[in-house]
Amino acid sequence: MKDIFVLIEHRRGEMRDVSVEMLCGAAKLGGTVVAVLLGKDVDAFAEKAAGYADKVLYVNDPLFENYNSEAYQKALSALIKEHGPGLVLIGNTAQGVDLAPALAVELGASLLTDITALEMDGDKPKPTRTFYGGKLDAHFTMKDADLYILTVREATFTAEDPSKTGEIVKVDNPVTEDLSYRKFVEYVEPEVGEVDITQSTLLVGVGRGIREDKNMPVVEELAQALGADLAASRAVVDAGWLPSDRQVGISGKTVKPKLYLAVGISGAFQHVTGMKGSEVIVAINKDPDAPIFGIADYGIVDDLFKVVPKLTEKIKELKGA
Amino acid sequence: MCAEEIGFVEKYDLLGCIQCGRCTGGCPVALRTDLRVRCFMYDTQNEERLEELSERPEIWDCTTCYTCAARCPKGLEPLEVLIGLRSLQIEEGRVQPTVRDALESIFKDGNPWGSPRAKRLDWTAGLEVEALEPEAEEATDVLLFVCCTDAYDPRVMKVAQALVKVLNAAGVDFGIIGEEESCCGSEVRRLGEEGLFEMCDEENVELLNSFNVNRIVTVSPHCYNTLKKEYHGLKHPVLHYTELVAELLEEGKLQLSKEMAKVITYHDPCFLGKQNDIYDEPRYIITRIPGVEFREFDRCRERSLCCEGGGGKMWVESESKAERLAEIRVEDAKELGAEIIAVACPFCLLTLEDATKVKGVEEEMRVADILELLAEAL
Amino acid sequence: MNMVVCVKRVPDTAESEVHIDASGKDIDKSRLSFGINECDNYAVEEAIQIKERLGEGTVTVVSLGDKDSDEVIRMALAKGGDEAMRLEDDAFKGGDGLATAKALAAAIKGLEYDIVFTGALADDDGYAVVPAALGELLGVPHATYVKKVEILEPGKRAKVGRELEGGLMEFLEIDLPCVLGIQTGINEPRYASFKGIKQAAKKEIAVKSAADLGLNASEVGEAGSWAVLEKFTPPVVGEMAEILEGEPEETAAKLAAILKEKGLV
Ligand SMILES: Cc1cc2nc3c(=O)[nH]c(=O)nc-3n(C[C@H](O)[C@H](O)[C@H](O)COP(=O)(O)OP(=O)(O)OC[C@H]3O[C@@H](n4cnc5c(N)ncnc54)[C@H](O)[C@@H]3O)c2cc1C
Ligand code: SF4
Ligand code: SF4
Repeated sequence: MKDIFVLIEHRRGEMRDVSVEMLCGAAKLGGTVVAVLLGKDVDAFAEKAAGYADKVLYVNDPLFENYNSEAYQKALSALIKEHGPGLVLIGNTAQGVDLAPALAVELGASLLTDITALEMDGDKPKPTRTFYGGKLDAHFTMKDADLYILTVREATFTAEDPSKTGEIVKVDNPVTEDLSYRKFVEYVEPEVGEVDITQSTLLVGVGRGIREDKNMPVVEELAQALGADLAASRAVVDAGWLPSDRQVGISGKTVKPKLYLAVGISGAFQHVTGMKGSEVIVAINKDPDAPIFGIADYGIVDDLFKVVPKLTEKIKELKGA
Repeated sequence: MCAEEIGFVEKYDLLGCIQCGRCTGGCPVALRTDLRVRCFMYDTQNEERLEELSERPEIWDCTTCYTCAARCPKGLEPLEVLIGLRSLQIEEGRVQPTVRDALESIFKDGNPWGSPRAKRLDWTAGLEVEALEPEAEEATDVLLFVCCTDAYDPRVMKVAQALVKVLNAAGVDFGIIGEEESCCGSEVRRLGEEGLFEMCDEENVELLNSFNVNRIVTVSPHCYNTLKKEYHGLKHPVLHYTELVAELLEEGKLQLSKEMAKVITYHDPCFLGKQNDIYDEPRYIITRIPGVEFREFDRCRERSLCCEGGGGKMWVESESKAERLAEIRVEDAKELGAEIIAVACPFCLLTLEDATKVKGVEEEMRVADILELLAEAL
Repeated sequence: MNMVVCVKRVPDTAESEVHIDASGKDIDKSRLSFGINECDNYAVEEAIQIKERLGEGTVTVVSLGDKDSDEVIRMALAKGGDEAMRLEDDAFKGGDGLATAKALAAAIKGLEYDIVFTGALADDDGYAVVPAALGELLGVPHATYVKKVEILEPGKRAKVGRELEGGLMEFLEIDLPCVLGIQTGINEPRYASFKGIKQAAKKEIAVKSAADLGLNASEVGEAGSWAVLEKFTPPVVGEMAEILEGEPEETAAKLAAILKEKGLV
């Protein structure tokens, strides 16, 4: 079996969890697991990756201080051509999705994005991914190819304790020419508002099911009764019903409150990613098939406008008692 | 924007206006917003100002209650000028996202609530009601036109459900259209989306004419008004349910046995009262319920205060922070000593019920459709 | 500046039940409603706003799909699009993200463009492949998950903001021509009036087959895809939530009791 490349993703001094998850997942597929690390003075990440990989290819160059698809693509394609792995795993992140399709086109590689499970049929991957916003699982096979590139959704594999001591191989930067067409400028933090929902212990998450701005008091009152803060799906933030610092999910905040009460939220994976670590998850949604019920601990299948006011009442009673 | 297309002066007979101000004088929303409809009758004569006038937020405050038109000594319809101005905004695509979403949903799914057609019949669960086949050999007496709000809104749904129970109790031969029913377009036209309204008109007339029925009965006064007065080529007579139910009571087909010892007042929906002169039937029905003590609002019948639910106001928030008319209405009802405000329109139901919550009187004051009261009195 | 926007017509499944059809590889679409893919709608708006801001330029709408897709194309034209092209061929059917990108690239290659806009991903398949793949196929730079576009020098350079995890924005400068994958929330899409859509219906939509685009049937669609969909299954949900049954009064009471027991109230 050919080697498996796993691209280590990191940003601003932090290595992303998906990298370790992919290394652990790759280790179970058989074959040599090679962690590929592009960065500037990120020796610590190289060492961390070595705990999970048979080998770490580490390119230390100022060019890789911040992610840039142009630099990454050039470096990766050179490394892949040189080392000839059969499978490349990249996180299905804002970075991975910007990078993997272009890389696949350049290398003529086989590609499938956002996979949520992976089996191997010899050298050939048999991935699973979701369709229709998580309402269906789609099972794939891949046509014969020399190289398969897969982008992997977070939490597809489970991170385990380090068990390897891979060799760290420092590689010269294969990108010798100047970058021409794409230039990193800066990172801009999301605006911070008055409430920091990442610090909240109780959250009421509001989704598009609330329908209109003028219905917001329904959930505001519940939050108040509970002593919770309000969080939102992106649908609600896009509509301008809550400020963007309340958004939970992949492009919002990751929250881990003791209670996350999702009201009128369908449970799109992009949202769920940001709240699935909550201790207790409760969902109120009128659609019995809403994916949110798949991760919730408790659910009420009903119209939120009927249930939430009642719940507010009951909570008030309990608190009064 | 091309002037020959618009022709405000001719289209709305603006030169006929004598600027007497009776329109603004009677306009209910003039009480709480900047809307002065008389001024628009004058200002829109200058075609060059149309664009600027169409950008004024208050044109979206009009509830299309029709009071201004009813009061105009020259027989003009000032509200239509406001709708015309809305059209200009619609054509530019410059509308509030809520209005955009409602209109897109009507175009796509035939209802303004962003719900799929496949869920249009959810309200019928557990009820005895069937969808009719088009072009049936045998005529059915009544085709119920259900209204999107009655079909999808979980609160208003209960009204349609009550109607089915009442019709079954009276042994009426009736049916519904089914999933194919689409929005009547009343609000569409009033939001200024003329083109989409024409589509509603054409498609619904064709659909409705395909049924072999004696008459069409609507649940909502808004559908009633549209089907009856604004559609082209509809061959069946159109009734509001209050007309049918009054008939059933009169003929003794509907028996009300349960006592309802309550003080009830009735809020005239603009689209039933002012616009279609149906004042007596609702009162007749309410007073047939055993034990009811009926009290009139001071402002009743043609002087009834608009609840602000129509004219697309379901999707447009007024900038005004002044008390909503529905809240005034609830206060009036309280003063009257009413325990129940009876209504006969889905929008009145929603706005008034909400107002009881704003006023914190939802415990002592109930807002219910006449049909709900009837179903309880069966 | 000349801009191209790629749009896709997709079924709306957010509130609908999704049923797998007899083939096991598709869903029963008969009772679903369709519309423009959500982020594509924002992409259309972004292109038109840039054209309006600069006071010059054209917006060409491109869609791969059957005749039904004309509806979403017309909506884009009604909002301010100038020209339209639809790619239709049995050979295009069943394509994965790369195959779709190949067809689009072949269509766009012949056009003059400074920016190609696409949505960041499609609501149905969720591949998110087209923006980056299309850039590579056209030989121009790309950026995806774009939530801000500022034209620094028309036809030459733009500054774009990409939305990363945690809401962090990554700003970068990119040479034109380029491909930008647009994320929802970048703007407020306008309404396409019915009248506008009808007028747009008069505009010609150029329909192109694979052969018209110089593509071999084996390069596109299912034949040109690497990934082979074997079957759909309902998702394996972990432990399903305990569903509280009853009328709102009861379910609310049960939930309140549970929260109390867990020390959350
Ligand atoms: C790159 C990317 C990043 C993203 N980042 C995020 C993110 O950070 N956070 C995020 O939230 N989303 C994010 N999204 C969007 C995400 O895919 C979903 O579109 C979004 O989460 C949907 O929000 P929602 O659940 O509120 O709305 P919907 O999916 O529309 O769901 C509304 C739900 O409300 C229910 N409902 C409706 N009416 C009622 C009622 N009366 N009573 C009870 N229930 C009702 C419906 O059944 C439905 O399940 C991202 C998408 C992409 C592509
Ligand atoms: S009531 Fe009629 S005539 Fe008088 S100002 Fe109003 S529109 Fe003009
Ligand atoms: S229709 Fe009613 S709200 Fe509108 S202007 Fe006339 S009186 Fe005022």
